[in-house]
This record gives sequence, structure tokens and C-alpha cells, in this order.
Amino acid sequence: MHHSIEVRGLVKAFGDVRALDGVDLTVPAGSVLGVLGPNGAGKTTAVRVLSTLTRPDAGSARVLGLDVVAQAGEVRERIGLTGQYAGLDHDLTGEQNLVLIARLLGASRPRAKARAAELLERFDLVHAAGRAAGEYSGGMRRRLDLAASVVRRPEVLFLDEPTTGLDPKSRNGLWDVVRDLVAEGTTVLLTTQYLEEADQLADAIAVIDTGRVIASGAPSELKQMVGGPVLRLRPVRAEALAPLAELADRVIGAETKLEEGAAAVPVAHAGQAAAIVAQVARTGIDLVSFGVDEPTLDEVFLALTGHRTESTSEAEVAA
Amino acid sequence: MTVTTWTTRRGVLAQSASMAARSLASIRNNPATLIEFFMIPLMILLSITFFMGGQMMGTWQDFLQYAGPTIVVMGLFFAIPATGLALFADLESGMFDRLTAMPVSRFALLSGRVTADMVKHAWALLVVGGVAFAMGYRAEGGVLGVLAAVGVVLLFMFSASWSMVLAGLTAKSEDQVQTWMVALLMPLSYTSTAFIEIETLPGAVQWLAEINPMTALSETIRSLLAGDAPGGYLLALLGWCAGAVAVFVPLSLRAYRRRLTN
Repeated sequence: MHHSIEVRGLVKAFGDVRALDGVDLTVPAGSVLGVLGPNGAGKTTAVRVLSTLTRPDAGSARVLGLDVVAQAGEVRERIGLTGQYAGLDHDLTGEQNLVLIARLLGASRPRAKARAAELLERFDLVHAAGRAAGEYSGGMRRRLDLAASVVRRPEVLFLDEPTTGLDPKSRNGLWDVVRDLVAEGTTVLLTTQYLEEADQLADAIAVIDTGRVIASGAPSELKQMVGGPVLRLRPVRAEALAPLAELADRVIGAETKLEEGAAAVPVAHAGQAAAIVAQVARTGIDLVSFGVDEPTLDEVFLALTGHRTESTSEAEVAA
Repeated sequence: MTVTTWTTRRGVLAQSASMAARSLASIRNNPATLIEFFMIPLMILLSITFFMGGQMMGTWQDFLQYAGPTIVVMGLFFAIPATGLALFADLESGMFDRLTAMPVSRFALLSGRVTADMVKHAWALLVVGGVAFAMGYRAEGGVLGVLAAVGVVLLFMFSASWSMVLAGLTAKSEDQVQTWMVALLMPLSYTSTAFIEIETLPGAVQWLAEINPMTALSETIRSLLAGDAPGGYLLALLGWCAGAVAVFVPLSLRAYRRRLTN
């Protein structure tokens, strides 16, 4: 049994920029790998190599046991790609876009129309079937783009930053669609800049920076490395910081850190945060604000590399 | 949910037809674009005939009778770069990333664009040719002569379009595609017998005009429209067309493959 995706020592340079500098990845069949990294880390280049759009300089990449360079034609038969920029014809309607893809993939006209109708229904686009894709909202366009990637039910699906630029509601909707596809047995490799997205969708996460995988593992392992959510309490008066920290430590047994104007309490879940806030209210300490912050990609990077994310976007642009 | 799947495949020409239909679908969605396709050749015909024709041949009517068809063709010729520009835009779009990652013939992706543009050229030829007729141009070769000339013009346009496919695939910017076009079309048009008689050219340029494919085209359609046998010029033209396809199609496919390594 092959892994669905196996990448060993992948290298791709654009001029002096090594977009991929020895990347290893393994994705078991039916699972979801989240490739997490900042702009310019090499995520898009990795997806382009795996989907046969860019040839690597060194290393090997196999999809469903097939070499992406030597057997590119066979790979294309079995994958789907949703790139970072919508792979749609903006002058065509939603339905015309899907029919075109189905026709190019060999469907007769009636079958192409039937498949387009199914997908429009499934991706909640029936109401917009007759409108030009260029007039779609961001969320609708992403759904249509995803629909176009699964016209012939690919075994492996590549999603390059599928929710970048979407509002939270559209993003949640897209996540549901991806989960459905995974439930049907599709193997997914998705890239993202959001730790939360990788956490929500992926069985495993590979963190990538300047063309290298700097950490990989289950989302829970990764989150342990950076710590979980943090409750930040901002009192009206600075003198209240120390009592707040004591109180929080007493309630949940945490180790609160004092920041500029805020007490930062590491919490395991929302319930703990609520308990602390309730206790604070009872003691009568006045707060300017409080909130739970999820760890961000930036904090993952800080924990893993000791430096913040640097957006070196040349590699992505060149790709 | 029942899923409609299939195991059928369609050939290269069918894929090409689907791509051509895709490029023409914008017309169905926005019919006003039909006017854009003939505006440039129409304006070239009207302005050259009315403003310059009288000075060149005494009356604009005489000029129209001599140069009308070749002016129409030259006007059409200026629409050829649209193929390169549209392809350039296609290749920059996410759409072509998707298509390139699909099991679709590379040739079909390129020829679909050429085919769609040929439909536009045929439409422009119909309209502007009709205007020339309305202005008083008459072909002594009759309907058959006109049909033969139209066929030759479209064949020439088709062959020449592949040079623009190569330009669209290799250019680094839209400006480069434009530059290519002017560099190719201007000298071709003005060192041919499209507007002028070959005897009026300086000696060295006469030789250039004699081997110019635009001369072969101009003389061929003049003969066909006059009801004469085009002879050697037709053979030369067919040679040019075959040569252009034989050179530019493989070079275009190679350029497409090369894009993948970058």
C-alpha cells in the first residue's frame, strides 16, 4: 500500500531563492495534511510541484505512487487542484464553468450538465448557476472553484490557501465542504497561514519555513509545543494586575504571566476562562476588557524557531 | 446522492472545440462585443479609402476597386495579436493553472483559442466585406471567386495566428506581445502589394515585396476576386501557411512545456 503523497528531499529554486530546500512530506491515504507556513515559505511551490505545474530541481515527489514528473499525465487523471487564485473563467456562468471542466474531462453533454447540476446543488450555488463567476462573492467563488476541482472525484485534492480572504461564515462553510470530501475518502493536502484552520481540518500538520519542514506532527502535539489558548484580563488600574493573577492561579491552578496592562492566563478550554471571569466579577475588580486568544501562526513560529514570521514573498511571487 | 460519473474520453479536436466554445461564450453572455470585432478593420477601410484613395488613384472608387479587398485583409490582420494577448492573459490566470493540471491536450488548450479567434475574424470579414460591397466594390469573379478568396484569407489568418500563440507563450508582459505584433505586421503590410503596385517600389524593396507573404496573399485574392487563376502566388501562399504551421505549432507546444520547468 502506497501513501497517497510521498515527498523526499524536494528542491526547487527560482534564481537565488530556494523556494523548496529539501522538503519531506508523507500523507497516508484518506487523511488530511495541513501545510502551515507564512507567505514565501514555499507552500504554493510545493503544491505546484505536486500538481504537475512546476518541475522540481531535485528530490522526488510521488502522488498515488506515481512520479509527478515522469508520470505527470497519469497523476493529472487522479488529482484535483484548487489554486490560490480562482481557477475559473470569470466571463462564464457558474454552470458553464462546471460544464466546461466536465466536457474537457470527457463527459458527454448530458452527463456534463447533470454533473454540473449535482455540484451546484451540493455546493449551495443553485441560485447563482446562471450568473457570471466574476460577479460571485468571495465565498461563492471559492465554493465554485472547489466544485470545479472535484468534477470527476479526484483521489487526491490539493487546496492552496482555500480560505484566505474569506469572512468567518464563508470560511466555516468551506471547512464543512472539505470535511464532507474527506469523509468520502478523498486525501487532502491543504496549505494555510492559519493554525486554527490546520487544527480544524488536518490529521497532521507540517510547519514549513523558508523551504524546509521545521516541525510536523498531530495538531495536538503542535499545540502543546506552543501552548493552548490564553485568557487576557485587562484591569482598569494597573495595581489590580497582581491580585488578578493570584485569583486566576487559585481558580484553575494555572501559571499566569503578567504582560503590559494584562494578566495572561493559559487556559485549557473556554469553561476555565468563564470560571475565572465569573470569579473576577464577584471580587469586584474592574476590567477594561477580557478575551481568549488562540495561539497564532506567529506564536508557533516563535516557539519553533525563536523568530517571528518574516514575509519573504519573492518565492511565492516567482512561483 | 447519486453521482453522475463517466469513463468516456473525448479527442483532441473535441477538447479544442470545447475550449473554443468557452472563449466565444462571453459573446453569448455579452453580445455587444460583436461590434468590437469589426470596428478596427471597418475604420481602416473607411479612412484609407475616403481620405487617401482619391489622392492615390484619382477617385476613391477606383482605389476601392483596386485596394479594397487588401485593405479589408490588412484591417483583419491587425486583429491577430488579440490571440496572443488573450492567451497571455489566460496563462496568467488561475484558470489555466487548473486546465494545465488536468488531463487535457496542450494542443487543444492553444488551438481552442485560435479557433475561437478564427470565428471572430470570419465575422469581421463578413461585416467589413459587406460594407465594401455596399460602397460599390464589385468582384468580377462572382460568388465563387469571393468564397475562394475568403477561404484563402482565413487560411492565412489561421496560420499567422500561431506566431501570436508563440508570442503569447513566451512574452514576459503584455507590452512585449504588442511590440512583437507591430514589429511583425507593419513591415509585412507596407512592403507588400497590399496598397501599391510593385513597380513603384525602390529596387531592393521590390525583391522584399516579391517574397513577402502579404504580397502572395494580396495577389492571390486579387486574382480570385477578378475571376483569374492565381497561379504561382497561390502556391507561394500555401507554402507560407504550411511553413508557419509547421514552425510555430511545435515551437508553441515546446514553449508551453518549458513554462512548467519555471
